[in-house]
Amino acid sequence: MSLLSARGISKSFGGIDALRQLDLDVAAGEAVGIAGPNGAGKTTLFNCLLGLTEPDAGSVELDGRRIDRLPTWRRSRLGIGRTFQRLALFDGMTVAEHLLVAEQARRGGIPFLRDLVERSEPRVEELERVDATMALLGLTELADRPVEGLSLGHARLVELGRAMMGEPRLLMLDEPSSGLDAAETTRLGVILSELRHRSGTAVVLVEHDLQLVEAVVERLYVLDFGQLLAVGAVRDVLDDERVRRAYLGGGQ
Amino acid sequence: MTELLGYAIPGIPFGCVFALMAIGLVLTYTTSGVFNLAFGAQAFVSGLAFVSLISDGWPRWAAALLAIVVLGPAVGLALDRLLFRRVRTASPIVKLVPSLGLLIALPQLALIIAGSVPTIAPPALFLDAQRVYAHVLGVPVSGLELSIMVATAAVVALLLVLARATPLGLQMRAVVESPRLVELSGINAGRVGATAWVISSCFAGLAGVLLAPLYSQIDPQNYTVLLVWGIAAAVIARFESIPLALGGGLALGIGQQVLAGYLPPGVIASGLRPSLPFIVLLVFLPFGRRNRIEDPLAGCDPPPSTMVEDARRYRPASALAVGADVGTRAVGLWHRALGAGPSESLAARAVRRPTTVVAWTLAALAVLSALTWVPADWLLTMTQGLAFGTVFVSLTLLTGMSGQISLCQASFAGLGGFVAGQLATQMGWPVLVAGVAGGALAALLGVIVALPTLRLAGLPLALATLAFALLADNVLFPVSWLGDGASGVRLPRPSIGPVRFAAARPFFILALVLLVVSAGVVKRIGDGTTGRYLFAMRGSETAASSVGIDVRKLRIGVFAISAGIAGVGGALYGSLQGSLVPEDFNYEISLVLLVVAAIVGLGSIGGAVVAGLVYTTLQRAVATLPTRYAGLVAVLFGLATLSYTRHPEGIVDFLAGRFSELWARLLGALRTPGYGRDAPAPEPEAEPAHGVARP
Repeated sequence: MSLLSARGISKSFGGIDALRQLDLDVAAGEAVGIAGPNGAGKTTLFNCLLGLTEPDAGSVELDGRRIDRLPTWRRSRLGIGRTFQRLALFDGMTVAEHLLVAEQARRGGIPFLRDLVERSEPRVEELERVDATMALLGLTELADRPVEGLSLGHARLVELGRAMMGEPRLLMLDEPSSGLDAAETTRLGVILSELRHRSGTAVVLVEHDLQLVEAVVERLYVLDFGQLLAVGAVRDVLDDERVRRAYLGGGQ
Repeated sequence: MTELLGYAIPGIPFGCVFALMAIGLVLTYTTSGVFNLAFGAQAFVSGLAFVSLISDGWPRWAAALLAIVVLGPAVGLALDRLLFRRVRTASPIVKLVPSLGLLIALPQLALIIAGSVPTIAPPALFLDAQRVYAHVLGVPVSGLELSIMVATAAVVALLLVLARATPLGLQMRAVVESPRLVELSGINAGRVGATAWVISSCFAGLAGVLLAPLYSQIDPQNYTVLLVWGIAAAVIARFESIPLALGGGLALGIGQQVLAGYLPPGVIASGLRPSLPFIVLLVFLPFGRRNRIEDPLAGCDPPPSTMVEDARRYRPASALAVGADVGTRAVGLWHRALGAGPSESLAARAVRRPTTVVAWTLAALAVLSALTWVPADWLLTMTQGLAFGTVFVSLTLLTGMSGQISLCQASFAGLGGFVAGQLATQMGWPVLVAGVAGGALAALLGVIVALPTLRLAGLPLALATLAFALLADNVLFPVSWLGDGASGVRLPRPSIGPVRFAAARPFFILALVLLVVSAGVVKRIGDGTTGRYLFAMRGSETAASSVGIDVRKLRIGVFAISAGIAGVGGALYGSLQGSLVPEDFNYEISLVLLVVAAIVGLGSIGGAVVAGLVYTTLQRAVATLPTRYAGLVAVLFGLATLSYTRHPEGIVDFLAGRFSELWARLLGALRTPGYGRDAPAPEPEAEPAHGVARP
């Protein structure tokens, strides 16, 4: 049975169909890629899956449980982590705090009262998990730096780290390599592979960089104008005539 | 039908004026990204000039020309140059505070300059205001109504021609899309923006002149009301459409008159009309995701530099800094002359955190003085400062830490005070218990405000809370069982068993305890897990909810706690004064509170306490001046917003940062022989808690 299963997702913005009757399946531990030209509806799909945008139609199930009526934060706590194509970091907070916030939020509610009664310091195991994630991502040296001053590459890693906290079962990454140079992109691929190896997290990767896609992903969806163009093993899909045309604009 | 027309036609002039206001707001918002609340004040300045000049014997046309075409744009251009140009890409609160400050300051400044309000009945722009020139379906149309309609139609037509048929109009629409690209194609976007400011300031000036004869006398109050209606119309126009702003303004003007005509007289009718803008705001602001308006420039301009950077970059050549610098060197030389090394035995903590030590020492000295030698009148001012400090602490939590801009904090305080007063005097509750109950009800009100505004952030949230404050002023506070209108509510000083707080010094202690408890609550929340969630929510609500933070609950909770603290502060103030009237906590106070909090320091609890003391001390100082200068406090706060755009972290945190920097240099001077100009200044160490200083 698949971990995430979306059926018939449709969304239109003022007459423009961003998504048309789209199905998406992700098995537990699987890595799925989503590719397509700009404006194909990839980010809209992410937003619909996580509840940041209300789809016009369709259902979303996580582990066989309907989640499309749940608010975003609840879906996140059920085990979905995501990054943003346009960075959405918490200005003024340090790298370590970003990860700590995510770790605490995925595991507990809002401790208004506990904060008042006792000075609630982060627990040792929470800090240990933050340290471990920073080590995995190579962010340890930047732990106490505010995020505004980070390079784009590091900022993307902080977003990845934030999405990874609380051990989500599904990581949704929205163009994590955009703005990274070749070396950083390669490193990102290594990190993602290692992460999947370690914790068996399923990954949905929206990506233009086909090398990164090939390095990480097992199955690839290609969208065009909100519709599914092709799906299957990465090589087969990339060799598909229609896909080549959509991406390369006609001919070979 | 004639009855309906009879109500509707007198509404048209109001609608025209609202529409002019809304068009001005939309025009500058789309071209500069600033929602200029100061338009209300600019309209007043022009209106006042018009009436004053006529009262001095000027011909009407000359007075109108000067007020609308010269004064209006001059003020607008000056504000653009001095202030708004600098904050185009800043965060919502940094954009909002200067315009709020000017909204408060400009009318008072104009009144001080004018000396007195002219007593003549303001005339119409042209025609005889009283004479009936025509009948429409049996309804008489006076010269007043006719002149307003004709003038509005003329300028709107002019604007449309300008926008559609001239290169300038094209450029203005292009600047809306992307100032950067416009610059790249060789057009001075700044000049285009300034032109838009001039045009919209003309609209504000015209609105001001036209509004004047609709009332028997010229009064700043009417202009704030005008502004609120203009905001409502701009919201209907989704902050972007000039035709919709025109239509919205007209609809509101007519609607309010028709409503007033058909509703039975009484509290509901008299309360409903002023609360119509609030209802419009609530209905139209959250209407669809698209209306979750964002900065129109967000996509095309670089993000603003962070404020800490700004603060570091800015080095005032002030006498203070120079003096401190000289002092630092002198101490260094003196130490070297004595051959003394840096004393390591100094309390390490004091060296590490000098600002904390200094702040606590000052606070202790102030408390000791208050309890011993401070004369009664100054003690009263200090105690008032503590009560307002409590209200300011509530703003630190809500706006400083959580980034939720509240323009109804005084309403929370007022509700707390009124409930406490009613419970104490009508029900005979002990005053302290009544005060706590007042705080609890204020917290409930906070939840009521938070619920319908959950989807709003930044400017729309600020506008919704402002509209709520007006609703409270007009509907909630006048009722006899709450604020009781002009007569107000008595609230005695409390006692616990044999301990009575009636005398000044015991009450000071009580106020101090309540402030410390409130500050402790806010500090605990800010330092804890919740505080991290709040900062995250302030950074990005979307990202916060996608890491699993229940943003709804967090917002409702933080509104409740903040409103509760403000309510306790209001009750404390009421008990100190012995009674409260609605004017003590009307919407204007809410605006002033936010402006003062932002200028002095929203980022820290120390800032809130200082803000309370500064607020009451300044008012007391000005109270000793002649009545002509009664508005001077407002002017001072308004002008202080000029410094705010440079130091959005607030004066207190700025000074603390400077002090730490100097201290670090002093230590450096002691430790490094040969300390000189080229020695790098060590980083300031007492940075405020992460990001709190950056609302």
